[in-house]
Amino acid sequence: MSNIRTFSDARLPTDNEVRARRNLLVQFWRFAVLNTKMIVMVTRGHH
Amino acid sequence: MARTVIMGAGIAGHTAALHLRRMLGREHEVVVVSPNSQWNWIPSNIWVGVGQMSVKQVTFPLAPVYRRTGIEFHQAFATELHGAGGATSEQPYVSVRYTDPARQGEVAELAYDYLINATGPKLNFGATPGLGPNGYTWSVCTAGHATEAAKGFDAVVQKLKAGEHQTLLIGMGHGTCTCQGAAFEYTFNIEHELVKEGVRDKADVIYITNEEHLGDFGMDGMNFGYKGGITTSEDFTSSLFRERGVTAIMSAHVESVEPGVVHYEQVDGSKGEQPFDFAMLLPPFRGADLTAFDRDGLDITAQVFAPSGFMKVDADYEAKPYEEWKASDWPRTYQSVQYDNVWAAGIAFAPPHQMSRPRTSPNGTVIAPAPPRTGMPSGVIGRAVAQTIAGRIKHGSSARVHTASMADMGAACIASAGKGWRTGQAAAMTVFPIIPDKAKYGEAGRDTKQTYGEIGLSAHWMKVMLHYLFIYKAKARPLWHLIPE
Repeated sequence: MSNIRTFSDARLPTDNEVRARRNLLVQFWRFAVLNTKMIVMVTRGHH
Repeated sequence: MARTVIMGAGIAGHTAALHLRRMLGREHEVVVVSPNSQWNWIPSNIWVGVGQMSVKQVTFPLAPVYRRTGIEFHQAFATELHGAGGATSEQPYVSVRYTDPARQGEVAELAYDYLINATGPKLNFGATPGLGPNGYTWSVCTAGHATEAAKGFDAVVQKLKAGEHQTLLIGMGHGTCTCQGAAFEYTFNIEHELVKEGVRDKADVIYITNEEHLGDFGMDGMNFGYKGGITTSEDFTSSLFRERGVTAIMSAHVESVEPGVVHYEQVDGSKGEQPFDFAMLLPPFRGADLTAFDRDGLDITAQVFAPSGFMKVDADYEAKPYEEWKASDWPRTYQSVQYDNVWAAGIAFAPPHQMSRPRTSPNGTVIAPAPPRTGMPSGVIGRAVAQTIAGRIKHGSSARVHTASMADMGAACIASAGKGWRTGQAAAMTVFPIIPDKAKYGEAGRDTKQTYGEIGLSAHWMKVMLHYLFIYKAKARPLWHLIPE
């Protein structure tokens, strides 16, 4: 089993972060932000 | 009248065909050759592989779309490229062998004025003994493979419900694999389904990869702008692994697979084996094994294609060490080095080198993730090549050459970590540019404002939205061309 890494020193999300990832209001807002980021990305990539 | 033949109807080829048809008058012919009768939105295959989508939801038949849009379709494999014509004519042509049930096995020659090679990857399961659906592991590379994987996964869930312990191994089936993102997605969708089924505590989920660090993704990792600071894709990804209790075998080359056990070598030369009850391991890719001939019938495959089988284009293929790699090594026009009327789009072009630092074990085994070429760059390249050809047909050889360098292009990747309108999760990642450019962006190699990662339910909604949006676009429904690649 020594070759298997467990990442026990990796940072865990805080309780607030976990809640925010599932909170519908927060996620509707993040959906809008993500869409905007994607559109900017796509616009920069199309010549 | 000009005739453009497109070999391949994946994201690059299909995008190029639809745009060419839209940009050219009906006096010009657009011809697609593809061995598959169906178009497949491959990013959703991971959901087929856990039984959350059906094959029908991720595929549709190509022939009706091509009939409606005026594109000639041949369901066939391209086998030979005769770019300077043959014994009786200088007209270039490709030889094809039909897979269409009505013409199964028939051979034909398709003449062209312009040719796009968008043949995508050959799934090279043969590189690792025992790998793949004909061996001892599952695959999600095609919708059919994913359906079989879902059956295998369901059998594992039933055993878990019966109280048996099970080990699920997911990842890369060879040291030179790419598409770590797909394996990452499948790992977390499997984990998500095990939680839903209430059997997570009885299962070990292990990720096996050729990456040196988690989050490398064959792109040399990324530095993300995150909450006003900078974090690495390694930290971002490791956090998810720890949170979900998924472990990993890193820097591994899978040497062989036997029933229930994988044998691997790590970059330090050590050998190991990992027993499994269920394994989904991706194969390495190679080119479509086309053979090229000159007019006299001499085999010039080595001039036209790289040893990997991918087509050589306007890239800098000079072998040089990792420290000397430059963003400008990567192609811009995707024009063949041999022919000025042939282009390679999407996965079909030969990359100049990897993006991640290649490593070799003391035993001489190369452990080097191949560079990913995901849907977004494949689509953008397909469109740019179509624009170049349409310009050439309409305005002659002085027409503008359109470029789509992956060193000037960003990509968005939504990596699903579980499906469900309220319970789903995904990691949304944007990266700009795809090819690291240390001369322009410093040691990070990328714009840290545009390179970004976030985990949440909204990213899952994004992935679902992209599923329906891109299938709509691929079906050439009204205003499809307004949807960017």
